[in-house]
Amino acid sequence: MLSIRGLRQTFNPGTVNEVRALQGVDLALADGQFVIVLGMNGSGKSTLLNAVAGTFLPDHGKIEIAGHDVTRWPEHKRARLVGRVFQNPLGGTAPNMSIAENFAMAARRGRARGLTWALSRDLMDDLRARVSTLRMGLEGRLDNAIGSLSGGQRQALTLLMATWLRPSLLLLDEHTAALDPKSADQVITLSDEIIRREKLTTLMVTHSMQQAVSLGDRIIMMHRGRVLHDIQGAEKKRLRAEDLLDRFDEVRRREQLDEPAAALLQELYV
Amino acid sequence: MTLLLGAFTIGLILALLAMGVLISFRIFSMPDITTDGSITLGAAVAAVLLVKGHNPVVATAAGAVAGAAAGALTGILHTKFKINALLAGILVMTALYSVNLNVMGRSNVPLMQHTSFATWGEQLGQKLFRAEYIDLAGWRVASGDLTLLLLSLLAATAVGVVLFLFFRTHLGTAMRATGDNAQMIRALGANVETHLILGLALSNGLVALSGALLAQYQGFADAQMGIGMIVWGLASVIIGEALTGSRSLGVTIIGAVMGSVLFRLLVAIALRWGLDPNDLKLVTAVFVFAALVLPGFAKKLRRVPSAA
Ligand SMILES: Nc1ncnc2c1ncn2[C@@H]1O[C@H](COP(=O)(O)OP(=O)(O)OP(=O)(O)O)[C@@H](O)[C@H]1O
Ligand SMILES: [Mg+2]
Repeated sequence: MLSIRGLRQTFNPGTVNEVRALQGVDLALADGQFVIVLGMNGSGKSTLLNAVAGTFLPDHGKIEIAGHDVTRWPEHKRARLVGRVFQNPLGGTAPNMSIAENFAMAARRGRARGLTWALSRDLMDDLRARVSTLRMGLEGRLDNAIGSLSGGQRQALTLLMATWLRPSLLLLDEHTAALDPKSADQVITLSDEIIRREKLTTLMVTHSMQQAVSLGDRIIMMHRGRVLHDIQGAEKKRLRAEDLLDRFDEVRRREQLDEPAAALLQELYV
Repeated sequence: MTLLLGAFTIGLILALLAMGVLISFRIFSMPDITTDGSITLGAAVAAVLLVKGHNPVVATAAGAVAGAAAGALTGILHTKFKINALLAGILVMTALYSVNLNVMGRSNVPLMQHTSFATWGEQLGQKLFRAEYIDLAGWRVASGDLTLLLLSLLAATAVGVVLFLFFRTHLGTAMRATGDNAQMIRALGANVETHLILGLALSNGLVALSGALLAQYQGFADAQMGIGMIVWGLASVIIGEALTGSRSLGVTIIGAVMGSVLFRLLVAIALRWGLDPNDLKLVTAVFVFAALVLPGFAKKLRRVPSAA
């Protein structure tokens, strides 16, 4: 469903701020696979998701979604295939517009927008039914500005919007990181429900080991712009949070070893 | 009374400008100074066509289309060439000054001798009221003036309703979201750049329409008539928001119309009381400044006692 080959991206090349955010990522996701993306801060998780979504066009590599080579497609064109929920609860909704209007736009994700009525009766009926499944009591407030809702409510709605039309690929980038623990749990449960029910191919970034072991079919751990570990199948099922922490410690140790070693080499040879 | 009628009529004609500014300033959060050039462009194009003997409908429509093109150009400079939004507007406005002079061939085109909406309005008035002057609640008013007022009201209402309906379609809703959260609507598959170009075209089309009608009402087009018009529009939008106290779509549109009329009335009264016309733009600018700053200032004042 998603295929990434040789993906590289360097920000601010040739300056003191040069960052090699992606240094050759190869990744293939089978249809319906739910993949958790782990990695330390700055390891390139968000950059990977942004490259797939088309927020920027990568320096090198090829990206295919659902059989389309989207490498050069602009972001708005990829939206036909990709649903997204951002880390910032303010990111995925238009705050001054009503809940219903936000959904009217989601109902046209990646499709032509013409001069037909946005808030048709069919949409409103459908919307009330689906929003009531959230059990947040929002079905009676569809005319309220979405900006008046809590972060958790907004993320739940954004998730519903992103999956309103079934996306070929769902991208979740720490979409519960900005929420209080209770709302985060709610949104995670909802995400899992929707992903399972609709069999959505998903990339979900998280820092929670707990979520990583309890959700998904596969874990990839990123390090310095590469995929360092790829855990799937029976190994993923067996995996405990401690195992993951060990792997993180290993990365950290290697990191500390690397720095002095590199300095030594530099001194010797340069 | 004639003065009041005139102020009302001009206020309603400039309500089209206010609605245009509402689109650029409130929906796209971009003070678009192209407005100053496109109102004159609309007037110039319409005036020249009227002088050549074209039908007022054709002339007015052509003026609006020219303004839309100018707005689209600003949008293209901003989105495709990545020029700062304000600067893009300034460039197009400056260029339009020469364009307008070229279109008119001189700095002022009188329209008194030519058939325009104003002439049509007066003829219609004669037919409707069967008299040159009529009695309106004890006031003696020219039937032509009254008819023009009613026609302006009709125009402002029609444009307001169409605008309201447009912004509730799929396309219009997505355009509103462009100004509210561009990241979100891009992720939902809208081409934000196209929306901005379209929005500025719509905005300046309305502004130019307002210019074309204003030229016909006042009986001339002038190269200087656009100076400071963006501030007029802003003043109307802000007054409208103060009057209605709401940011919901339909109400802001009505507010812009009310704001425009009220502002024009205030100006007429101030001039009557002896305000020097030369000071008018200064007073307007100070007014808009105050309107932009005071709400935040008032909030701060209110917060102080609770903090103490
Ligand atoms: N647009 C950009 N311009 C410059 N540098 C960038 C840009 N986007 C990301 N980077 C850099 O690329 C590196 C990888 O960033 P990225 O956001 O992908 O990390 P991450 O794994 O998502 O980290 P976190 O867990 O903190 O979210 C970082 O060093 C970051 O500063
Ligand atoms: Mg990140």
